[in-house]
Amino acid sequence: MTAEQTLVVVGAGHVAASLSRALRRRGFAGPVVLIGDEPTGPYQRPMLSKERLGGSGDSGLWLLDGEWCEANDVTLRTGSPVERVDAATASVVLTDGSSVPADLVVLATGGRPRRLPGVEGDRVHTIRTLADSDRLRERLVPGARIGVLGGGFLGTEVAAAARARGAEAVVFDRDPLILARGLGADIGAAVQALHADRGVQFRLGQPIESIEVTADGVTLTRPSGTEVVDELVVCIGIEPNVEVAVRSGLVTGNGVETDAAGRTSIPTVFAAGDVAAHDHPRYGRVRVEHVDVAQQQAAAIARTVAGKPATFADPHWFWTDQYDVNIQGLGLGGIRPTDEMVTRGDLSALDGTVFWLRDGVVVAAATVERGEDVSVARELIDLEIPVRADQLADEGVELDELLDAEEVNA
Amino acid sequence: MSEWVHVAELKELTRRKKKQVTVEGTPVALFLIDEEVFALDDVCVHKERFLSKGTVLDGQVICPGHQWKFDPRTGRPEDQPGCQATWPVMVTEEGAVLVGTTPVSPRESSGLEDVPAVTS
Repeated sequence: MTAEQTLVVVGAGHVAASLSRALRRRGFAGPVVLIGDEPTGPYQRPMLSKERLGGSGDSGLWLLDGEWCEANDVTLRTGSPVERVDAATASVVLTDGSSVPADLVVLATGGRPRRLPGVEGDRVHTIRTLADSDRLRERLVPGARIGVLGGGFLGTEVAAAARARGAEAVVFDRDPLILARGLGADIGAAVQALHADRGVQFRLGQPIESIEVTADGVTLTRPSGTEVVDELVVCIGIEPNVEVAVRSGLVTGNGVETDAAGRTSIPTVFAAGDVAAHDHPRYGRVRVEHVDVAQQQAAAIARTVAGKPATFADPHWFWTDQYDVNIQGLGLGGIRPTDEMVTRGDLSALDGTVFWLRDGVVVAAATVERGEDVSVARELIDLEIPVRADQLADEGVELDELLDAEEVNA
Repeated sequence: MSEWVHVAELKELTRRKKKQVTVEGTPVALFLIDEEVFALDDVCVHKERFLSKGTVLDGQVICPGHQWKFDPRTGRPEDQPGCQATWPVMVTEEGAVLVGTTPVSPRESSGLEDVPAVTS
């Protein structure tokens, strides 16, 4: 190789920030260019529905500072939508017609919130960008009644933030229990009780038949009656932003398809984060919307382009903080209905962990307030250490001693 | 001038490998890793969870809050901002664990500690 290669990241979010730092740590010498369509550089997206929404200020919000970028030859271009990647000419073409040299490209275009047709206007919100979060925060005031459509992680975080700011919160979901699809019924019930304790109201187990937005409020109609709220926050998931990939001729499905190293159907183009449908060694092809996954994928791509081929094979990990309660999940996407659930601790007291066992090996874990169990579960999953359900459930057994036992046997 | 405070016995660390003690009013986490005792600020620079509730794996301390991994020797988290203060440790021949009253290296903010919620 004669000249140093230029790497361009399309999308200036968590992948761009993690990748930049990892590339420099791994000794990648070429210029790095981050091209984003938002007006700002990379920021902590998880904070938009947590600290930033419930509190205030921008402490810890920004992921890259200008000084570091300058010292490390990382160029940030904001407000610059990308048209396509042209691999044949090694460039990235912007929608304004200009182009940027790009020997290597990482697509990290993320996703956009799903919307409901016809449900729009000043009183209707989604949360994806800093601007979205700041606009909603102004409406979370005492006396305001905030409707949240969707009782998943985002919706429940929004409800918690609304309560923290003294607003009323009412959560709508077709499921009879919040978070149960992601975390199991026991944790779902415990977290729902926590929200109810903090004054969140629930309208669950029924479909929404219609939503009417007027100048005075938003009316939601369910089989059992109508509810009027001042603001409606729609938290029903995201769609991957695949347009740039499609216009670049990449193979896409539910996201941009990549191999385990993050490489797309064009060898010089990688993809990571919410937009990437990666081929996971353990779970097969899957697109995951967790920030830690985006960061780990970026780290693997950085190693690969810096000359040490790497794959992303971690069990997917995520957390959510609601009020002062910390919840984490590991490997939950790979659970099968036949896996055995084992509970340790007391979930109803918001202090316990669920493990999923298959053929005597832990495959997944979810915890309320016991992140230390997840650290051990990661080792049990990675090393496929045989354990018994009664050991996991017995609080007299120190979980990390299950790891020591393996070392003795090895 | 750093003085030494007798905070624990080595045998208290042999099973669970970790223990919270208090030095000059500051919660300090002791870890026994490969037969060496380390002392770090117990309150995590990220979200103020206790490292002593965490896990020791492959010579690293993993915070239960958000799985940040700390080097017990330096107090630095892997790929994350901030730093835990580290404290001097001495183990006597009788197995008493002493911790100095002045940190060896200072605490550095992560910039991510919780901002007080606004309820007005």
